[in-house]
This record gives sequence, structure tokens and C-alpha cells, in this order.
Amino acid sequence: MTAPLLSVRSLCVDYEQRRAGVFGSRASTLRAVHDISFELSEGETLGIVGETGCGKTSLGKAILQLVPPAAGRVLWRGTDLARTDARTLTRLRSELQIVFQDPLSALNPRMPVGEIVAEPLRVHAADMSAQERRAAVADMFERVGLRPEMTSRYPNEFSSGQCQRISIARAMITGPKLLVCDEPVSALDVSIQAQICNLLRRLQRETGIAILFISHDLSVLRYMSHRVMVLYLGRLMEIAPRDELFENPRHPYSRALIEAIPEADPDRGPHDMADALPGEIPSALAPPSGCVFRTRCPIATPECARTRPPGESVSASHRVACHHWRDAHAQPR
Amino acid sequence: MNALLEIRDLSVRFDVGDAELTAVRELSLDVAEGECLGVVGESGAGKSQTFLAALGLLAENARAEGSVLYRGREILNAPRRELNTLRGRRIAMVFQDPLSGLTSTLRIGRQLEESARRHLGMNARQARGKALEMLETVRLPDPEHCLDLYPFELSGGMRQRVMIALGMICRPDLLIADEPTTALDVTIQAQILGLLAELRRDANTSVVLITHDLAVAAGLCDRILIMYNGRPVESGTTREVFTAPKHPYTKGLLASLPSLATDPAIDLTAIPGQPPDALVTPRGCAFAERCEHVMDRCISERPLLGGTRGRHAAACHLLSP
Repeated sequence: MTAPLLSVRSLCVDYEQRRAGVFGSRASTLRAVHDISFELSEGETLGIVGETGCGKTSLGKAILQLVPPAAGRVLWRGTDLARTDARTLTRLRSELQIVFQDPLSALNPRMPVGEIVAEPLRVHAADMSAQERRAAVADMFERVGLRPEMTSRYPNEFSSGQCQRISIARAMITGPKLLVCDEPVSALDVSIQAQICNLLRRLQRETGIAILFISHDLSVLRYMSHRVMVLYLGRLMEIAPRDELFENPRHPYSRALIEAIPEADPDRGPHDMADALPGEIPSALAPPSGCVFRTRCPIATPECARTRPPGESVSASHRVACHHWRDAHAQPR
Repeated sequence: MNALLEIRDLSVRFDVGDAELTAVRELSLDVAEGECLGVVGESGAGKSQTFLAALGLLAENARAEGSVLYRGREILNAPRRELNTLRGRRIAMVFQDPLSGLTSTLRIGRQLEESARRHLGMNARQARGKALEMLETVRLPDPEHCLDLYPFELSGGMRQRVMIALGMICRPDLLIADEPTTALDVTIQAQILGLLAELRRDANTSVVLITHDLAVAAGLCDRILIMYNGRPVESGTTREVFTAPKHPYTKGLLASLPSLATDPAIDLTAIPGQPPDALVTPRGCAFAERCEHVMDRCISERPLLGGTRGRHAAACHLLSP
């Protein structure tokens, strides 16, 4: 593979929280994304998985500068997006696009869908004539599996699966090089999820676009990704090529996530599920000391409460943050 | 096995302005004593409305017709007073969003105690003990402390445990769980499913699990009913439905579901088209327009869910040529 398109270095995202109290409001800082580094190449899909509050959405937004990073660098083909001027950033946005979870709320209900898809062209290809724009939109509609004569209709005339196709068309119309997909199929019916997954894979084959695929659903993620990154409470637990992560997970949290996947298999009953990871996800406002996962970890030791495990390399492409990854084959009990 | 709940030819219609929306269409099903039935379908398949109708919990603009027998007694459209002796006591319901099933302004303990006092005739001290016992049963951490908390102070998974505790307090015959884990994280979902399986085993409660997630149903249920457009399209034991599905829709659902065994190099087999419109009542099979095996007969004649009670059956003309 060539030089990475995207290189994220020690990225942090903070949110200011205001809490009303008797003596006025107090501000506290919630660090949603903690010191995350990774790279992404052309044509590659990196899956980002984790549970509520793991920072996966904040990470995606910070890369696109939709929320400002508190620290760290986002290098897009050598340019640091966090430090570049507004004009350069606007220009680069045509290369960086996003698809959201809820397709209906992501589309302006008062705009015909053809206009919605054409809008990025007005910004990023202002010299295009109206006729050229119409042709580009019609072509894009066809590529995402919609009939071009649908362009004059409004979003409420479409099903949620079709709305997600429209969102994807809008994101793809400027010919981006990176697509951040934030839970793009989670709000869709089961029979429609596969349609959208297949569409994204086909668009990637056709254009070589790089995809950051954010999802809580490991089965979908495995199907979509070349590499997988596991987050917990804002921190990177493990990152590895897909097959390596699923066949040989080194982090106890990755293992627990994989074991918790319900399988459409009547022989695997909930008796197995009863062995699921105990406890609740701690608050990001008061994360545990040392390793943030230790409060639910089946193999935690006193060491885990004292020091935070550094990211260690299992191999050139496999990193894990666990004190016990070497003996992690030592299963609990 | 005796049927605890028998639903016969149930239809649910909604008045929506100048149109009529049919959510459930002449549906029949049985829930036997002690069994777990999975009712699986996509949004708009009518799975929730079926059981809301059975319990008299439909919205104001809805009408239900047909018959719902609980232990042989007709309860469909029964007077509120009669239903109140069943709901919460003999039949309990757990919803996807536990906040909507809990009163936000009352402490957890108070809500559990109220149910114990009203349905079990306990005094205040007994009810307190019962509330604590239930929170221990659902393995809520630090149950004593939780009694004094308000619902908003709990996480989603903990709230769902409280909801289940509230549902199980009278040891009901039937627990209807409507997407109980859909709003939860995967590791928490696994905890709740394990808990439901355990409660079922220990209390011999029948469970109806309403879900869009075939994989969740596979883990918990004895029998599965697949619904599409307000009708059952396939019914059988969990093993039959998963290992030898008969209806093209069931087959399509199973094929479109990525699993850990799926080869990521091969595209998923998606079901083409969109879920049907509940405002339209097709003459033939509702799945026909998305079905790869569609025949002329599928357009003109509606296939029936054949077979006798308890047998693996599917509503498809391919099976009765």
C-alpha cells in the first residue's frame, strides 16, 4: 500500500459539561476521545466498533472537523485539518463526506431530493451549469439504485432505505476520497441493511474511496471492514486486520464483544450468553484509573488499576492496549 | 400442552384521516404454557400491535376484531376492569424503552411496592421486602440503594432490569417482551437475554419475545412466528425455521444477515425492494413483489399458512402446487 490518505495522531476530543448547582453552574470536561492514532489508505475500510460512550461518533466528527479536536493531528494527505485555514478546509470538504444513521433527519424535508443531492455541487463545483448538474445528479441516482425520474420528489415520499441511498448519493456526488459512515444501517430494517451494505461495497470497488465504518454491530462491521478498531470509553483497545481481530482477538474486551454477538443459530442458546461481560459501562466523566476496562475485565489484576496499559504491537498491523495480552489466551477462570 | 393464549383471526385497523391502515390481518397464534414464542418481523409487520390489541392497549384510533382467549376466556375488547385484573398480574409486558414503562417521578422502590400491594395485597413492610427481593432476582447491583433511585438515575440496562422486575413481581403466566434489548449495547443485551432465559426456567413463565432480530430470537425461543405485512408467513420450532426455512421471505432474511461465518469476500444476498405499505391490502401474497419465485397465482390468490397446529408451516404457493 502507498502512503496513507489519512493519518490520525494522538487525537483527543473534549466536551465542556455544565452542571447547574445551588451555587451557580460548574464546568467539567468530558474527554470523549483519548489519544487515538491510526492510518487509513485508499480503498480501505476501517471499522470502528464500541458501545455507548466509546467515542466512535466523536472520533468520526473530529476527523471531519465537525467538532474541534482538543489535541492531536488529523493529517489528510499531508495537510493538518485541525490547523488549516477555513478556505482550504472548505475546499478539502469535497473530498471528505459523511453519512449519518437516521436518513430522514439528515435530509431537508422541504427540498426535492434532486436538489439535496445537487447541493454539494453548488458549493464545490460552482462553475457547473444547471444542465451539467442535472446530468450528474441523474447519473448519481442511477449509481445508488434510484430511478433518475425520482429527483423531483420530497424525502417523505421515500422509505428509510431509499432515504439512505439519497444520503449516500449526496455524499458521493463530489467524488470524495473518504466517507465516514456513522451507523449507516442501524436504523434500517433487516432486509434493507444488506442492500445498503452491498451498495457501499460496490461504490468502494468502483471509486477506491476509503471508508470509516462506525457501528455497534460486529457482524455488519466484519462484513464491511478490512481492518477493525475497538474503542472503549474513548480509548483504543485494539486495532488489527479483520480476520486477525475476529480469529485471534488479544484484548479481553474484543473477545467479550465477539462472544456477545447473538448468532442466528438455535444451537447457541442464551446459556452461553449468561456468561456475558458483567457490569455496566462506567461514566466517561469519572473513568476508572489505570485501564478503563478493568472494572468489567475478567482477567484484571491490581496492576491494571495502577497503570494505564500502553499500546503494544502484536505485529506490524496489530496493536493492543492490555497489560495481559501476552497471557490473554489465559481465558478467565 | 395447553394453550395459555389463543389468538384467532385477529385484525387491527387504524383510522388515519381519510384512510384505513391495517396493521394485523386475520392473525391466529397460540402461546402454550411455559413456552417461549418468538414473533419476528420488520417495522410495520404488526408484531407489537397484535399483543397491544390482546391486552387492550391499542391507540384510540385503532379497532381490533377477532378473538383472544386467555385460559379459554375471551379478553379481546373486554372491559377495562376485567383487563386490569389480568394486566400486570397474570400477563406482564416489557417494552423496548424502559423509560416509557416506568413512572419517571416515582422512586424505583415505590413503583415495585405499589405493584406488590395492589396485586398481591401485601402491607408496606412486606411490599418493601418483595421489591428488594425482585431487584436481587434481576441481579441489579446494590439493590438496596437502587430502591431509592429515580428511573433517570439508572443506565438503560439497569432500567430494563427494573422493568423486568416490575413485570415479574406477581409471577405472571405470560411475559410479553417487546424488543427488550434493542436499545441496549451488545454486552448488556447478552446480560438481559441471559436473565430472561433464567427467569423463564425458574418461574416457568411463558414468554412472547417480539423482535426484529432473528439472532436474538434464535437464542431464546422454542418456537418462531415470522410476520410480514400483518400476517404470519412462517411458523415452526426455532430449529425448523432456522435450519430448514420454507418461506422465501424467511430464507431471504436469513441470507441477508451477516454472521461471523459469512465470507466477507462475497456480497450479501439482499432482499430487493421495500417493505410493503400497510395502507394497501394486496389481493395475493404481500411478499410477491419482492419474491424471486413469484408466479401468476401469487398475484391473484393469497397463500394461507397451511398445516395443523404446532407443525412447521409457511404461507407460500410454492409449497402447495
